[in-house]
Amino acid sequence: MSDTATAAPPKAKAEIRAKPPMTPRKLLRKTGFYAMVVVVAVYLVFPFYWAVNSSLKSEGQLAMTPATFIPRSPTDGSISFFTRNYEDVFADTQFQRAIINSIIVAVTVTLLALAIGSFAAFALGKLRFPGKTVALYTILSMTMFPQIAILTGLYAIIRSVGLTPRPSMILTYLIFSLPFTVWVLTSFFRTLPGDLLQAAQVDGATSFQAFRLILLPLTAPALVTTGLLAFIGAWNEYLFALTFTTINPDDRTIPVAIALFTGQQTMQDPFGQIMAAAVLVTIPLLVLVLIFQRRIIGGLAGAVKG
Amino acid sequence: MQTVEEESVPEIEVADAKPVKRLRKDDDLLGAERRLAYMLVAPTFILMLAIMIYPFGQVFYASMTDRVFASAQETSFVGLDNYRELLSLTVKTLGDEVDENGNPVIDEETGEVVKERPIDVLPREPRYREAFTFGFFGTDVVIGATDRDFIRSVWDTSLFTVAAVILETLLGLGIALLLNGAFVGRGAMRALMLVPWAVPTAVSSRMWEYMFSSTRSGLFNVLGQNFFGTDGQTAWLANPSLQLPAAIAIDVWKTTPFMALLMLAGLQLIPDELYEAARVDGANRWRQLTSVTLPLLKPTIAVALVFRTLDSLRVFDLFQIVFGQNRFTMASKTYYDLIDNQLMGYSSASSVVIFLLLTVFAIIYIRTLGVSTDE
Repeated sequence: MSDTATAAPPKAKAEIRAKPPMTPRKLLRKTGFYAMVVVVAVYLVFPFYWAVNSSLKSEGQLAMTPATFIPRSPTDGSISFFTRNYEDVFADTQFQRAIINSIIVAVTVTLLALAIGSFAAFALGKLRFPGKTVALYTILSMTMFPQIAILTGLYAIIRSVGLTPRPSMILTYLIFSLPFTVWVLTSFFRTLPGDLLQAAQVDGATSFQAFRLILLPLTAPALVTTGLLAFIGAWNEYLFALTFTTINPDDRTIPVAIALFTGQQTMQDPFGQIMAAAVLVTIPLLVLVLIFQRRIIGGLAGAVKG
Repeated sequence: MQTVEEESVPEIEVADAKPVKRLRKDDDLLGAERRLAYMLVAPTFILMLAIMIYPFGQVFYASMTDRVFASAQETSFVGLDNYRELLSLTVKTLGDEVDENGNPVIDEETGEVVKERPIDVLPREPRYREAFTFGFFGTDVVIGATDRDFIRSVWDTSLFTVAAVILETLLGLGIALLLNGAFVGRGAMRALMLVPWAVPTAVSSRMWEYMFSSTRSGLFNVLGQNFFGTDGQTAWLANPSLQLPAAIAIDVWKTTPFMALLMLAGLQLIPDELYEAARVDGANRWRQLTSVTLPLLKPTIAVALVFRTLDSLRVFDLFQIVFGQNRFTMASKTYYDLIDNQLMGYSSASSVVIFLLLTVFAIIYIRTLGVSTDE
């Protein structure tokens, strides 16, 4: 029994182990293991659950002490959900505008970064040219460049040129998304077999044709992953967005809108509405991330390992 | 173009005694490849020059001026004055307060000797303010700074970084080890780990801000009252000694899963045979961890560590949203100097300081990581 188990790959091991009746010791260990897994799972999800819970409460329900783990009526304690927060958020024109701004900015940045970055990444990953090592080091150090260090310079330039917030954000987000895209795509290109390219050249294709007809289709999955990561980075960006939209609230993106959300009626922060807005903007992101989870994990690991 | 190629052929001919015909073809190909490479790389570098290098040059220059936006005052070159104001520190000890006759003043209520106030011992010109006061071997020491908010922000950012990164690494490692084996629900757990990572920091900050409410409408006060016997009125975000722990808790939630995912990826690279061998040699689980897993995971941990350190040192979103101007990090201090006070020159100087600090870590990072060029 143990001989087969040691020789088999990990997945098979678990199957074999599951067959014989469990000894109390094993059962205990397994229970302990799953208990820890549950603790971790609760820790990961609970804050988000709490936001959902709070978003379904009225002002009165939010003011209830102690706070309830499920929205309950203040009078009789029965479970009651309050959906007005979501209606209010949907009706809020500033929030609508923020969503449109975020989509325009994040999509444009992603497409630009992929278009410009894939060229550079192809050269860095597959072509031989003097100065390549220096170029790679430069890109790597650019991925680590602290954005705060150029905030004042960018702010001054944008003020003097009179650039409006949206183009300013698009241009400046490339500061972090472009080096990141180049870095991740370079490592993807490098894993592709070089013979393919030579074969294409022998067949009379130019390097650019080889890139467009052979390598680009092969790297489509990598482009999707990198694009998604670049998109999330741009979607969540806060520092530049906050700085460039100080003058005009109409140009705010979602993170800024949520950070500065004040609601329409009350003077106090309307946390029910803030949580509803928070849940609304996070859900599409979560869906996207869960669909592409395997690729994202691979992409993130690749980005750090180089 | 044409002439350059033809000129380069004979040179190589001399150096290398390969057949001429073959050489010309190879060289053409190589030259074409080189030209294509430069053409492909150029847009990225030109763009980065325009949006990163040029603005940074501006920052560097502005840091040596007293430029203020929306001001009638003319900008002039001030050399290193901004840096001097940012970084000047002085250390003084607080002696006993004495009255006109030179006798120590005694507090009438407590009967203790009254200490001098920091404002009395710190230099006035230029004006130093109290940044920290602490007891050191029985003496009261005060550290004064010309810009105490900046000095405090450097200290707070460092403290935040060290605590958050250590916690995230340990927790991340623990979670990665827990989830590394094969078990039912493994895929679901991996998916869940992406939840905190995907939530925008602005959103997670406000979510936690609400959980940290100072009344029992906040989760932590409910938990505190039910399980730890507090009065349920803890001002988590207003009490200065609780602010940093709260910020660390928020950051740990957001980034630990990311650390765990990186370490999981690292764990997958360790071949099973090594564990078999260790088991055959009679190593128990702990020995396997310390002599197989950790040494092999070291490169992954090192990279993740420095990567996270860089990120934490420039933390902005969390502090700006949760604390505003009540508690600064280096980045949020710079932001408020620029936007609220319009101090272009002064905030540029703190930008440069942050840049230099981070560069030190970035160099460590690149050295740990290295660049492989496959050549």
